[in-house]
Amino acid sequence: MSNAIYASLTRQDGLLREMQVIANNMANSSTTGFKSNHAIFAEHIAATGDESGSLSMGSLAGHNFDLSQGAMKHTGGQFDLAIHGEGFFVLDTPAGERLTRAGAFQLSADGNLIDAFGHQVQGAGGGAIAIPQEVTRISIAPDGTISSGEEILGQVAVVVADGEINQEGGTMFAAPGGYQQVEEPAVVQGTLEQSNVSSILEVSRLIEVQRAYEAGQSLIEKEDERINQLIKTMRQL
Amino acid sequence: MKALQIAATGMAAQQMRVEVISNNIANMSTAAYRPRTAEFSDLMYQQHLTPGTITSQVGTVVPAGIQLGTGVKPSSVSMEITQGGLRDTGAELDLAVDGTGFFEITLPSGESAYTRDGKLNRSAEGEIVTMDGFPLADGLVIPENARNVAISRDGEVVAYFNDGSEGQAIGNISLVRFINEKGLEAMGDNLFRETEASGPANQLVPGTEGMGLIRQGFLEESSVDVVQEISELIEAQRGYELNSKVITAADEMLAATTRVR
Repeated sequence: MSNAIYASLTRQDGLLREMQVIANNMANSSTTGFKSNHAIFAEHIAATGDESGSLSMGSLAGHNFDLSQGAMKHTGGQFDLAIHGEGFFVLDTPAGERLTRAGAFQLSADGNLIDAFGHQVQGAGGGAIAIPQEVTRISIAPDGTISSGEEILGQVAVVVADGEINQEGGTMFAAPGGYQQVEEPAVVQGTLEQSNVSSILEVSRLIEVQRAYEAGQSLIEKEDERINQLIKTMRQL
Repeated sequence: MKALQIAATGMAAQQMRVEVISNNIANMSTAAYRPRTAEFSDLMYQQHLTPGTITSQVGTVVPAGIQLGTGVKPSSVSMEITQGGLRDTGAELDLAVDGTGFFEITLPSGESAYTRDGKLNRSAEGEIVTMDGFPLADGLVIPENARNVAISRDGEVVAYFNDGSEGQAIGNISLVRFINEKGLEAMGDNLFRETEASGPANQLVPGTEGMGLIRQGFLEESSVDVVQEISELIEAQRGYELNSKVITAADEMLAATTRVR
């Protein structure tokens, strides 16, 4: 195969994966606390092994998430929490502590604050947050303090990760580098943060990827024709 | 091509959302109905290149890696804990719970069920029963010759007679509550069953320890907010269309691939 075909194939391989990223973003356009993903292409220089030098190829090098704030949706639920600005809630999962911005919490049968999968929400300073049963009117302050009337029942931890975070299923992120408390968090009660996927951006990206893929395909076709032509011409000599 | 399956999970999720919304709208006039909301979460990620992988001997690492998502799944369809409006009906056995709490009903199987729908009636034996004929678990019996009953806000039932004699207290209607109301299992007919997730039923006198009050002559209306449901419906429909666009695009890319010999 010619180098032109290789260059085009590398690009197309990356485009197929980018398509997967876009499909995942669009599938999660209604997922509370979801952060959209973007593929990053980087130039990859391959040696061609002869005097002509090297070949530049665009390959998928990585991806990043857009951690910008999603739209805030008012639900009125007393344990529906959103974070305005930076920060994550901490969940205690069987795989270790995980961070999330999806704050649709509820109480477990033993009175602890949990997420939809039953993972306990961690309080500031660690440990679960227990809400006594006889308490009915609960208010949660911007700093995460849970109170009922005069009585303080606990504080929801709002943290930022030290270093990189990895995306996992269940709108959770792993923070292998640990995390630290946000100094002035802004927790909003009765509100959920919606997915930050921008459908218009995703659709235009989708068209771009599709056309780029087709362009690569027609380049391969043209290259195929050219080689065919070459062989024919050579035979006539 | 993964994009096809991913978009399919997205369409399935939006379809489920439409089903939940249509059930809410269908129940916009059901007494004491509480709307449900579908919540979603993303599926696991394929780790093609894990962030933090070492890229050189001097310790440089991959900053972001390549993690490819695989779609969306429903995480919960939970009941919104809201108070519906109270409608004045004037009927003696129309009861509404103002605040937290459920009436406890005994099913024919002997099991307990819980409801906030207080459209109650007298049975032939004088028991207080639901529209389906299931009696209140408090086991009150209204005397045959009673003209009417008065039910106080804390649940005390007093029967009055035609002969002008003094009212006779015949018992109390209690209310129950759960630590996690969202964990109740809906059985249909406005009834709920206790589960592991809801915690055990905790019976209390109405008005004590934060429990709601009983209002005689009122019914709790459905708390479905139609405007909100319609706007959600529009969102779900557009979300469905967006995911179908992905399928079309992925299909065309596949078609481009197969064009090559």
